[in-house]
Amino acid sequence: MDASFWILQFLNAVQFSMLLFLLSIGLTVIFGLLHFINLAHGALYMLGAYIGISAAAATGSFWAALILAPLAVMLIGAVLYFTLIDRLRGAGPMNQVLVTFGLIFVFLDLVRMGWGDVALGLSAPPSLAGTSEILGVKYPAYRLFIIALGLVIMAGLWITLARTQIGAMIRASVENGAMAATLGINVGRLFFIVFCLGCVLAGLAGVVAAPVTSATTGMGISILIPTLIVVVIGGLGSLQGAIAGSLIVGFIETFGAVLLPGFAAVLAYILLAAILVLRPQGLLPARGH
Amino acid sequence: MLEVRKLCKAFGGLKVTRGVTFALEPGERRVILGPNGAGKTTLFNQLVGTLTPSSGDILVEGRSVMGLSVAARARAGLSRSYQKNNLFEDLSVRENLMLAAAAGQGKAHSVWRDSFRDAAVRETVAEVAQQVALTEMLDMPVRSASYGSRRQLEVGLALATRPRILLMDEPTSGVGPTMIEGFHRLLHSLPRELTVLIIEHDMDLAFDVADRITVLNFGEVVFEGTPDETRGNKVVRDIYLGDWQADA
Amino acid sequence: MFRQTPARSLVLIVTLAGLAAYASAGGFFAREIVIEIAILAILAISLDVVAGFGGMVSLAHGAMMGLSAYTYAIFSVKLGWPPLPSALLGVAASGIFGTLIGWITGRTTGIFFIMATLAFGQMAYTVFFKWRWLGGDDGLGGLSRFDLGGLGIKMGNSLTFALFALVLVLAVYVAAAWVLRTAFGRTLTGIHVNEDRMRALGVNTVMHRAQALGFSALLAGVAGVLAAQHVQYISPELLVWTVSGEVLIVVILGGLGTLIGPLLGAVIFVLLKHEISGYTNHWHIVIGLLLIATVLAGGRGIYGQVEHWFSRRPPPPAGTAEAHDA
Repeated sequence: MDASFWILQFLNAVQFSMLLFLLSIGLTVIFGLLHFINLAHGALYMLGAYIGISAAAATGSFWAALILAPLAVMLIGAVLYFTLIDRLRGAGPMNQVLVTFGLIFVFLDLVRMGWGDVALGLSAPPSLAGTSEILGVKYPAYRLFIIALGLVIMAGLWITLARTQIGAMIRASVENGAMAATLGINVGRLFFIVFCLGCVLAGLAGVVAAPVTSATTGMGISILIPTLIVVVIGGLGSLQGAIAGSLIVGFIETFGAVLLPGFAAVLAYILLAAILVLRPQGLLPARGH
Repeated sequence: MLEVRKLCKAFGGLKVTRGVTFALEPGERRVILGPNGAGKTTLFNQLVGTLTPSSGDILVEGRSVMGLSVAARARAGLSRSYQKNNLFEDLSVRENLMLAAAAGQGKAHSVWRDSFRDAAVRETVAEVAQQVALTEMLDMPVRSASYGSRRQLEVGLALATRPRILLMDEPTSGVGPTMIEGFHRLLHSLPRELTVLIIEHDMDLAFDVADRITVLNFGEVVFEGTPDETRGNKVVRDIYLGDWQADA
Repeated sequence: MFRQTPARSLVLIVTLAGLAAYASAGGFFAREIVIEIAILAILAISLDVVAGFGGMVSLAHGAMMGLSAYTYAIFSVKLGWPPLPSALLGVAASGIFGTLIGWITGRTTGIFFIMATLAFGQMAYTVFFKWRWLGGDDGLGGLSRFDLGGLGIKMGNSLTFALFALVLVLAVYVAAAWVLRTAFGRTLTGIHVNEDRMRALGVNTVMHRAQALGFSALLAGVAGVLAAQHVQYISPELLVWTVSGEVLIVVILGGLGTLIGPLLGAVIFVLLKHEISGYTNHWHIVIGLLLIATVLAGGRGIYGQVEHWFSRRPPPPAGTAEAHDA
């Protein structure tokens, strides 16, 4: 195990972290704003992958799929918002968990009906098919693209939250929803926008992941747990928390699999349990919680 | 019976309790007076254990209860009622009192016996219901009871554990004159050996039931004495009665 | 507060008798279904004790069941102990696991409690998934059933085993109903309704909740031993969190906080699963939509809804209502 091996693992960890970030940021901001825990977030990720595969097949272009799939998932999310999510705000965590757990089942079977129960692959675009030299190692160009995409979105969200008016509204509402409403922020519309944005990012994560992991009906459920761990570790509702949590879980899972095969998954759960018991507000909580 | 020594509590730089010291004799009725923001409820929360003081000591029958949890202090005989009703909303008045009486008699954990069928528990519930005038309403769900009845139940829950020290946080807050009169009667009917500490706004009640009165201002004890001494004291008149008269 | 109403007793007896009749009259497949219902019903009753009466929605009940099954396998297969003490140890292991989870998570509530139980359940799942000595993800076979040959009872017979499973359902229900009607159960409901006040009344609520989860885990452990003896093979799939999720669905469909509802939920869930699987692979979507519909309809579940309809009738004349027992 020489230096290049560790550099490879490092890049793998960063790439997985970026995927987790795309998923967890939507989940955590939705929680921070709406106090809504959406277990179906993983299912939206799965839908993104399958729709992306179909879109790529129909248009012949990965890049078209990269745009279309997240938009399609956003549409599905908008429908969900008006039929269920809006109704369940304030219905308590128990009911939200149950309904979104039911949604997991529904989407699972819908995907089985639409695409069958076999793993489907998606080719990386030709321009990203090879490997690139980075830090002295050869690394798949497509995975570098995932890392870059994650960083760009991270920066974009950061600027949006820190510098724009809508970002200020989101921060105000996360800190104190009632206060924000009295300040004239249209909280309902803000919730809807944020929920849709979360869906876009989940769909994006799905289509981006498809060339690496290929699409399976189990992918939504298996990504849900690490995503929830990220969100809880980082602190529900916190952007910085989602970034830190994604990196922590991404690195624990990747390096744990190399250094302590068999115990990587346990490590993440131990961390989750420890945070829940010792510091339930998370490592970098959004203020006001 | 209950002794507080140099109790201090600060939130950041804000000192809300400053060296509060007082002692209650067994069976004493003590009223704590003070304007809003004087730190009365904060003091109370430190006595029952929901807030940890920055320094100082709290003793029950000569023994420090500082290391004890809320529940352990309650088992040591300290019972409280809340300024804002804090009841078992989904249950009936009787069930509320049963839970409290069973807890007070150490019968809350058995997996063999039903506390609700226990003769001693039921006897206590009947007595307390009588005391707080809820006998007619025992089978009413708390949810559908009037504010006044809920206020009575709030005190009833504190009484049903059969405490040795009863702490009441503004028991008459928000109720009308008829009910305040009822509270006077209730307080006079309590067993003489029960030690009672009341936070109160109502001056008449304070002067009527108190053996001694402690006046708190800005987290500090500014006066302690009998009701008569309180009436005549200039400091008290300035910071509290003046304020009160201006309100009236 | 829990009440064992005459209606609930009637539903319990009729359901169990119906299942017994179905097992007796039907063939091997009917008996398999009855055993499957029994295992699920025990788990669901166990979950209802803490979720319905203590407000503790656990996603670790599958793990509790699996831990009991694996402990049974360790002692009976690996160490060669007789089935009965192995089974008791399995149930005890589950109880200890539940108590520990309850104690560690004693201060967490709501979504944080759900997440914490998920974490502990998945930890147990991962341990057995990776533990080669116990077969890892291949699972472990060669488990034996109780030997009641001395009593002239042949557990190898599928009808006998199905009836045995139903006896265990009855025993678990009676144990749960018993505990809920004791001081322990009253206090648990008190904590559920207002934990803060219960603490102020002198109850160590953290300990009480931990004990409640421990008791619930004991019952889940019974399901584990039953599951292990049923197929005489165990795998880590018993412990995975989606199993707990399914049990939660069963409790919600049947009626959270009714104790008898979860039994009905288990019957409906298993029958529906096999019925729907008869002509389509997509029974998940049916269950998912049913669950969503149940929650949107008020979340009372089947039995809870029926009770709700009847309770809106005028109350019986004073004197006959046993209100003090409520």
